[in-house]
Order: sequence, then structure tokens, then C-alpha cells
Amino acid sequence: MNGFIVKNKKSITLLLLFTTLFWLVTVQVKKGRFTILERPVLAVSGILERIIIWPFNTVVSIGRGYIFLVNTEQENRKLKEEIGRLRIETGVTSELLLENDRLREMLNFRKLQPLSTIAVQIIGKELSPASSTITINKGSNDQIQKDMAVITADGVVGRVQTVLPGTSKVFLLTDPGSTVAVMVQRNREEGLLEGKLVNCALKYVSYYADIQEGDLVVTSGLDDIYPKGLAVGTVTKVVKQEAVAFQTVLVEPAVRFSRLEEALVLTK
Amino acid sequence: MKPYVYAFILVLIIPFQSTLLNPLSIFGIKPDLSLAVLFIIGLLTGPIEAALAGISIGLMQDIGSASLLGFSGLTRGLVGLGAGLLGSRVLDISNPVIVLFLTVFSLVEGILISLFLQATSGEVPFFTMIAGRLVPQAIYTSVLCFILLRFANRRDILHLLKRRDIQKEL
Repeated sequence: MNGFIVKNKKSITLLLLFTTLFWLVTVQVKKGRFTILERPVLAVSGILERIIIWPFNTVVSIGRGYIFLVNTEQENRKLKEEIGRLRIETGVTSELLLENDRLREMLNFRKLQPLSTIAVQIIGKELSPASSTITINKGSNDQIQKDMAVITADGVVGRVQTVLPGTSKVFLLTDPGSTVAVMVQRNREEGLLEGKLVNCALKYVSYYADIQEGDLVVTSGLDDIYPKGLAVGTVTKVVKQEAVAFQTVLVEPAVRFSRLEEALVLTK
Repeated sequence: MKPYVYAFILVLIIPFQSTLLNPLSIFGIKPDLSLAVLFIIGLLTGPIEAALAGISIGLMQDIGSASLLGFSGLTRGLVGLGAGLLGSRVLDISNPVIVLFLTVFSLVEGILISLFLQATSGEVPFFTMIAGRLVPQAIYTSVLCFILLRFANRRDILHLLKRRDIQKEL
């Protein structure tokens, strides 16, 4: 027996390691994710990511600054036109906001708070087989806190998961650990959006709810992380099965994560 | 392989993967550098050493991506074991055909993960996942591995990373 163990020492150690890892995973499925070693490892990898990305970003910014200068005049004209159009829209929106505030006051509703944001740069996109996360270049030194919402002009990106002094890890909408309280904009049907790696699924939507492909899904504000009304994605598939209380609704995120370079963190 | 080479790989693989490979992304798909490196380690060393390397790389990935601790450790360990067993039976590791095995390993790993997610959280769009992410990524990773092997072969790096006595491990 001893001879067998000594002879196969390495194989037995490996088998024990695999068994331990399997046990570790099953425990986490039941009790939640372990976060031991997370902070030191993320701190080191965050620093390295900043160091690695710096020369790359410098080259890219030089490229953008000089090589693409050719189209600047044309782009400038377009942007001026866009600013003019947006100024008119802002004027109309301001009027609507004031009207909304007056009506809310009349009805004793809570006043809408303006959004306060911090601009961040994406310095890393993690491609773990089982998760979708990004690293941003700001952390607790810049007042970033856990569970703050991360957005772009297109819609919701995700929420801050781990905060370090100089960097933070953000769970994307498509990460299996991500959940967002949402509603369908057209008919206000509520549900919970869960990440499914390639897209998202809307859960707990009643069989009888009227959900159609192409419907816009927005945040409902019920999770106290994302403010109400932010674009989340579009319904791409609806599956209804007999004798199943909920329907399966797949949602394509509004933000193209592969092209993400900058984002905003909502601090309020 | 020498311990400092492993230390170098372990420390740098995650930051490299999450930063430098982003420009290579095509329609949101980018090659999996850690899998390609692990496959090469498997070919160069042997099943036990490659499995241990896979577990270590996987654990780093789990911590770095804030996912279930040990999950990638488990799957990457199995990939390392497979690559090590393959490497111990293949004489010419610079043969380009060998990267086809990486395509298979990558696909099998992806399918295992999808099945796990299906079992734990349900409603994973299985076929979209395979056609839209797993297959292109497996092919892209194999292409990267092929380029890495060619580069390493030309520069004689493969000979520098001394091959251990695999028969002993088996």
C-alpha cells in the first residue's frame, strides 16, 4: 500500500487537488463566492495592467492626435451642427424637467436628483471562460465604491465589484454574477436581468406578460444601484412554454462591450 | 520548465490577456492567451506538471475575474492534463496539425463551462454560445498558439525551455 502511494505520489496529489477544487466550487455555488486573495491579486494585476496599457495608449493617442488630423475639419463641422441640434433639444428638455419638477411637487413626489458621474477609462477586459469583467483606471482614491453603476451614453455597462486604491473591477451585464432590476419600457413589465455570458436573460416575467422582440428594456431603479430609466438592451427572443409560469426572454445589451474604451461611474 | 518561467507566466498572463490582446479582438472575440500558453506548457513538459500549471493559471484567472474560485482552476487543470498527455505521445511539437487539438480542448472546456452555468443558473443560450463564442474563440486561440509555436521554434525558445523526462511522470 505504502509502495503504491509513494510510486504514485504525484498522481494522487493531483487527484486530491482536483477533488478539492471541485468541492470548493460546489460550496461556492451554495454559499456564494469566496473572495480570499482577491484584493492582493487584483492590486498587483491592476498595477501591471496600468503599466502595460500605458505605452499602448500613448501610441494610440499619438495616432489619433496626428494621423487622424486629416478629417478634423470635416468632423469639426459635423460636431458644430450636432451641438446646435443638441442645444435646441436641451432647451426643450430643460422646460420639460422644470414642468416635471413642478408637477412632482404638486403631487408630493420625491424630486429627481441630477446624476453625478466620474469619467473612467477601461484598462483591462477580462476573458475568463466563465465571467465577463473589465478593469477601470479609478478606485477608492477617486471616491469609487462597491456596487456603483457604470454606464455609457448607450446604456448600462455593469456595476463595480471590487474596489482598490487605483483601479476597480466591474461586472459587465453579461457576467453570470450580474443582476439588474429592469422593466420593459413599452408596458412597464418588470423583471430581473441576469448575465448569460453572450447576452442576458430576463427572469421572472409572467407567462401572460406581453413581451415582444425589439422591446427596449430599461432599469427600473428597484435595486438601488441603477437609477430608473437607463437603457439596458433590446429583447431578441421570447419563448413561452405551456405549463411554465415564466417566459424565457433573451436580451441583447445596448452597450457593445467589445468596443468599450471609456465609461462613467455614477456616484449618486 | 524552470520555476522562474512559471512565476513570470503566472504574474503576467492575466494583465497581458486583459490589455494587450484587446486590439486583436474581432467582433468581440479575442484569443485566449493563457490557454495557448498552457497548451504549449503541456506539450513541453508532461501531464502532471502541465495540470499543476493549468490549476495555477486557472486560479489566477478566477481571482482576477472575480468568478467562482477554483472553477477555471479545475477546467484549466484538465486542459493542462490533456495537453501534457498529448505532448508525451507526440514527437514533433512544431507540427502545425497539433494546434487542432487545442481547438478541441478549447471547445470541450467551453462546453463544460456552459453546461455548468446551465445547471447552476439556467437559460444559457447554449447554441448561440457555441456558434457565437466558443467555436470562433477556439479557432482564434489555435491560430495564436500556432503563431507562438512558430515564433518559439524559429528562435529556438522551445529548446531553451528544457523538456523533462515525461516517461517518469507517466
